[in-house]
Amino acid sequence: MADPANTKLGRMLLDEITPVVMVLRTPLVEESCRKNGLSLIEMLAPFSNFNNIDVPVRTASDQPYRLRKFRLRLFYGSEVRQPNIEAAKERLKQVITFSGDKDISELCSDPPDIESLIATSKQELVPSWFQNFNKELIDVVAFSEHEAFDHPVACLVAVSSKDKDPIDKFVDLFNTNQLPPLLNDGAMDPKILKYFLLVHDNQDGMLEKASGILTEMRSTFGANDCRLLCINTSADGTEEHQGTLWASYKNSISNNKQYGCFLNADDIEELRSTMHDFSSKHIIPHMELKIRVLNQQISATRRGFRNQIRNLWWRKGKDDAPENANGPMYTFSSIESQIRVLGDYAFMLRDYELALSNYRLISTDYKLDKAWKHYAGVQEMMGLTYFMLDQSRKDAEYCMENAFTTYLKMGPSGGRNATRCGIWWAEMLKARDEFKDAAGVYFRISGEEPLHSAVMLEQASYCFLLSTPTMLRKYGFHLVLSGDLYRKCDQTKHAIRTYRGALSVFKGTTWSRIRDHVHFHIGRWYASLGMFDEAIKHVLEVLACGHQTKATQELFLRDFFQIIQETGKTYEVLRLQLPVINFPLIKVVFEDHRTYASTAAASVRESLWQSLEEDMIPSLSVMKTNWLESQQKVLPKKYKESNVCVAGEAIKVEISFRNPLQIPISISNVSLICKHSAEFDETESDANGFSIDHQNDKELRAVSNSGEFSLDTSLFTLSEIDISMRGGETILVQLTVTPKIEGSLKVVGVRWKLSGSVVGICNFNSDIIRKKVTKRKKKPKQPVKDNLQFLVIKSLPRLEGVVDNFPKTVYAGDLRRLTLELRNPSKISVKNLKMKISHPRYLIIADQEVMNSEFPTCLRKQESSSESCTQVDAARAASSLFVFPETTAISSETPLKWPLWFRAAAAGSISLYITVYYEMEDESSVITYRTLRMHYNLEVLPSLEVSFQTSPCSSKLQEFLVRMDVINRTSSETFQIHQLSCVGDQWELVLLQPMESVSSLKLLMAGQALSCFFKLKNRRTRQSTEENTFLATSGRADVKLVDGDSTGLYDTYISPFILFHHHERVHQEKQEQGHGGTVDFILISESRSGSDAGVASKSPIWWLIDGPRSVRHDFSAAFCEINLSMTVYNSSEDVVSVRVLTLDYTPAINSATSAASGSGNEVGWHDISHVSEIKVTSDVTGVRAGKAPPSTDSVSPFIWSGTSSTRLNLEPLSSAQVPLQICVFSPGTFDLSNYILYWNLVSSGGHDADGPKVSSGTCQGHSYHIAVLQKE
Amino acid sequence: MASTACFMIVSKNDIPIYEAEVGSVPKKEDAAHQHQFILHAALDIVQDMAWTTSAMFLKAIDRFNDLVVSVYVTAGHILSFVLTNLLVYMFVSINNCEEIKQWLDVLGTLL
Repeated sequence: MADPANTKLGRMLLDEITPVVMVLRTPLVEESCRKNGLSLIEMLAPFSNFNNIDVPVRTASDQPYRLRKFRLRLFYGSEVRQPNIEAAKERLKQVITFSGDKDISELCSDPPDIESLIATSKQELVPSWFQNFNKELIDVVAFSEHEAFDHPVACLVAVSSKDKDPIDKFVDLFNTNQLPPLLNDGAMDPKILKYFLLVHDNQDGMLEKASGILTEMRSTFGANDCRLLCINTSADGTEEHQGTLWASYKNSISNNKQYGCFLNADDIEELRSTMHDFSSKHIIPHMELKIRVLNQQISATRRGFRNQIRNLWWRKGKDDAPENANGPMYTFSSIESQIRVLGDYAFMLRDYELALSNYRLISTDYKLDKAWKHYAGVQEMMGLTYFMLDQSRKDAEYCMENAFTTYLKMGPSGGRNATRCGIWWAEMLKARDEFKDAAGVYFRISGEEPLHSAVMLEQASYCFLLSTPTMLRKYGFHLVLSGDLYRKCDQTKHAIRTYRGALSVFKGTTWSRIRDHVHFHIGRWYASLGMFDEAIKHVLEVLACGHQTKATQELFLRDFFQIIQETGKTYEVLRLQLPVINFPLIKVVFEDHRTYASTAAASVRESLWQSLEEDMIPSLSVMKTNWLESQQKVLPKKYKESNVCVAGEAIKVEISFRNPLQIPISISNVSLICKHSAEFDETESDANGFSIDHQNDKELRAVSNSGEFSLDTSLFTLSEIDISMRGGETILVQLTVTPKIEGSLKVVGVRWKLSGSVVGICNFNSDIIRKKVTKRKKKPKQPVKDNLQFLVIKSLPRLEGVVDNFPKTVYAGDLRRLTLELRNPSKISVKNLKMKISHPRYLIIADQEVMNSEFPTCLRKQESSSESCTQVDAARAASSLFVFPETTAISSETPLKWPLWFRAAAAGSISLYITVYYEMEDESSVITYRTLRMHYNLEVLPSLEVSFQTSPCSSKLQEFLVRMDVINRTSSETFQIHQLSCVGDQWELVLLQPMESVSSLKLLMAGQALSCFFKLKNRRTRQSTEENTFLATSGRADVKLVDGDSTGLYDTYISPFILFHHHERVHQEKQEQGHGGTVDFILISESRSGSDAGVASKSPIWWLIDGPRSVRHDFSAAFCEINLSMTVYNSSEDVVSVRVLTLDYTPAINSATSAASGSGNEVGWHDISHVSEIKVTSDVTGVRAGKAPPSTDSVSPFIWSGTSSTRLNLEPLSSAQVPLQICVFSPGTFDLSNYILYWNLVSSGGHDADGPKVSSGTCQGHSYHIAVLQKE
Repeated sequence: MASTACFMIVSKNDIPIYEAEVGSVPKKEDAAHQHQFILHAALDIVQDMAWTTSAMFLKAIDRFNDLVVSVYVTAGHILSFVLTNLLVYMFVSINNCEEIKQWLDVLGTLL
């Protein structure tokens, strides 16, 4: 370790623990000194500090040693007292405030990097004003009575030669009761060394008079103790001195006045010699003498074995003495005080061994006397002495800790002493590189006074930083603690300084609450100082704090807006985190040769469109590059990779915004930032994409600013959207930019306004570069779409197409006529229209004549139907590509309308894609053709379920029996079966039942089923199908299933039927191949809006059977039991008694129950508006023909088991459950409708006036199908 | 006497994995960041200690005022912290310390 005297603490002690000289002077002396801008003490101060005094000293031992450094501390008599606490506090505060103001400029800069922070040397790191502060803090406890080193050693009495009766003045000055309390109350010896100084101002002349006074003084006070000091010899006051002479002694209140301007070299020399003389000839010998005297006395009374024993015994006797707070009062004459004085004098004269032995001696005494303050003071000095001796570190630290805790134990009175002790202790530890412990001491010093604590905590934090290993986290934490305290004391600048230091530790930390706390507070404090740029920078960091509570989020946001408001301008922020943009979700939709009728169409996969357009677009295989390559002479090569868009047509960019907070935010003016350049040879486009980020940001800012000018709106227009987001919400926003003139356009970023005050800007570019890097391997395959660079070409015609009244939901089999409407808003007309539809099973193109005829009557059989109508346009049917007639060129005025046939072929959701191809009349354009893509989604609900069963007739070879089962699967719709036709000329269809029995069933209500039997006759089995066109068509292929003659049969040989049949066949053949010899039926039904009125009024009960729909059972083991339950609901307001009766025979079909009820309600029915058409192919050969149906008189395949009759009473508007069970003996599908419900009203609260109600009735069971299968 | 405790699991790179405020003291916004600060600062001590001792459970390794930090260091140097109120900690006798230790032991096997 270095020499203790050269350490910081050593220097501090050599400065602070030095003899005190009390200075007494007359006002005239002070006046003379003031001419130089200095007080007497200030004038003398530079000369009372001796770096090489070289005086031989001999204390208790006989060995003399030489004293090199020596210092006197000069104080006026009035200052030799304990300082006023309040004034001291004020002074400390000033020190802090002053140093805080000094380095405000630094607050703006970025916090230093933590690595560089560690690298910087200690001196730079720790603020220099700490030393001043610590000194001030130590001075607060100066001149306490329990410590002798602050007691004046000598008294300097100065009188001016101008004074009247100077000799009397000398006497008066010392005798007045102005003397400090230390002298008066007996804490120290009033007989101290006096030195008499006659100050003569040379400007007043009369040196002779002064000499006279001096001789008089010498005779009065003794020859050695008097001296004449002449000052102000220089007459003009222009003396220059090296500036450092007084600067360091003068309190920092600097002014321009030249110190010591009247002092010439002679004067300064005299000052120096006076002080040298005073200290070497008077003070040091005086102290030596006193040490020797005291040592002798103490040796006599206290040293030696006998004295020790006696002392101990005497102390013990004093135990009973009452204690006062500071322990017993020791006067100067007491032996304890004398030992202490001896120790302190020895310390001041660097005889540390002597000092230590005396301190040790007195320490036990004070402890026994319970004089804690004195004890602590001695312990403190012992610790320091150990340190200066550089012995026994442990002892030194033990003494300091002992002193510190003792001071603290004393309560508030010892607090300041404890602080001083702590500072010395910490310095001691620091001198020994034990920074961690030093930090602990500083932490312990920090007490009630928040301002002092703040400084101490900050010092502690620097200790953590300097300790090895570096404890950065502790450093940061203590800086934050200290910053909070600074802020509490309104020392905002200091608070910011400490937090900035902490930021260098916490920068980029994942400890979210720490980061939020630091950034938020420093931001707020910057704002309070009016440094809004910095403030916003920091508060921005915490805005997207999804992890905080709602209240905190609100607080952050509110403060942020407050700061923004105070700046008084709209603020632009790059990378504003509120809302967050989800980058991978950015999607760009633009139209080159591909145009979209709706946004839904644009979101369909490109490959799907491409496969649809395959044979429509000329030479598709090279298409993608071809139209560019052929134009290569026109276009620079680099534009191959940029996208092409058309002037006047919007480019849509979809961006997903996410609100990370729990509180709603509102965003306005969301728009894209675009850059447009009219030049084709824009060289920048290559370079700027990869230029450094910072430059990009600047550019972006510039672009976004200029976006507001009217200049740019002539180049392109931007859409603006306002959105408000709930907490945690993600919103997909579609923004558009519409270029107006040719050139190149680049989408640079997006800007938005948060709550109308902050503008956020986000640069896409940097992100896309990042994306490219990650995707480098796949780059060749990367779609062009991701690029945000567009080549704008001059405006082209763009068709708009829509299918009018396209249904969203339809029932299966629904046949409709729709109209496709194509518009061309531009002046240039288009030609060569082609169209293709993805699902010809659902949608086909009709003849244009259909437009003018009435639907559906145009489909009816006309008497004059010509042969040509029946022809199947095989070519048209085969190809789904439709070429519009040559004449159709759409110009701007007239929209093109074209009819389409729509048929809901099968139930389910279906997406239909329609694409229309067209070419420009104007050949000069880059793009010669375009396609319009339309996309529709629709849902097809199940309606009639039709199944056919054909079996060969047993009697005739060419005849078949056909059974048709129709079930209405809808929930509310009612259908009317209109007609059954079979396709092909070789068939003849005859209804087996009488017409009436069928036509009575013409209305198929929801859930109802119908069976019909037909006879099918093959007329031309031997002839090939090619010939059948020559056969005369006869009506026998169609069977009308409705009575009434007003409307004819539908002609199934004309366009929509025959085409849809074709596509259906194509579709079904794909599914099941290998069956030849089939017959196709077409069932035509008409839909009516459902009407169930009448039923409810007749029967007050509803019921439902609940149970399995299909069961697997092993019939080889046993028959199968199936449990069912019936829920019966009473909808009337009377109690109903219900009897459920199960029957084991099939009841005669009593179809009249519901059909008859409908007859009275026909008025409410709608007109026939739709035609449904169902057709199902079934096998002529009849797969099931081999299986003989079970004869009807044999045992039914199932029986009702359980109770065959159940009776129950139902309360009004209530329901009940009836358990049912069946036994099944063989596998099959069974209709469990063979039960009857009898109901009658049990009680009614009086009959209504409108006639007697029906009070009882019978209900036939609903059909409930259950499939029982053999278990494998 | 209300007790407060903060439990935290921290990964090798000082990244907090899990954080929970337990104890009967009503949650304060203030406490949350203070606890984080204390635990974060304690990492300095832990990093020193972890290499000098073979013990995995380091009881009361650091303290701030009356808050005591105990750490369980796993073999992979994933740390789990318990920050408890000292007064309660002492009051509930040694049994509770064992319980915490066991709890952390279980945690150690889980991680």
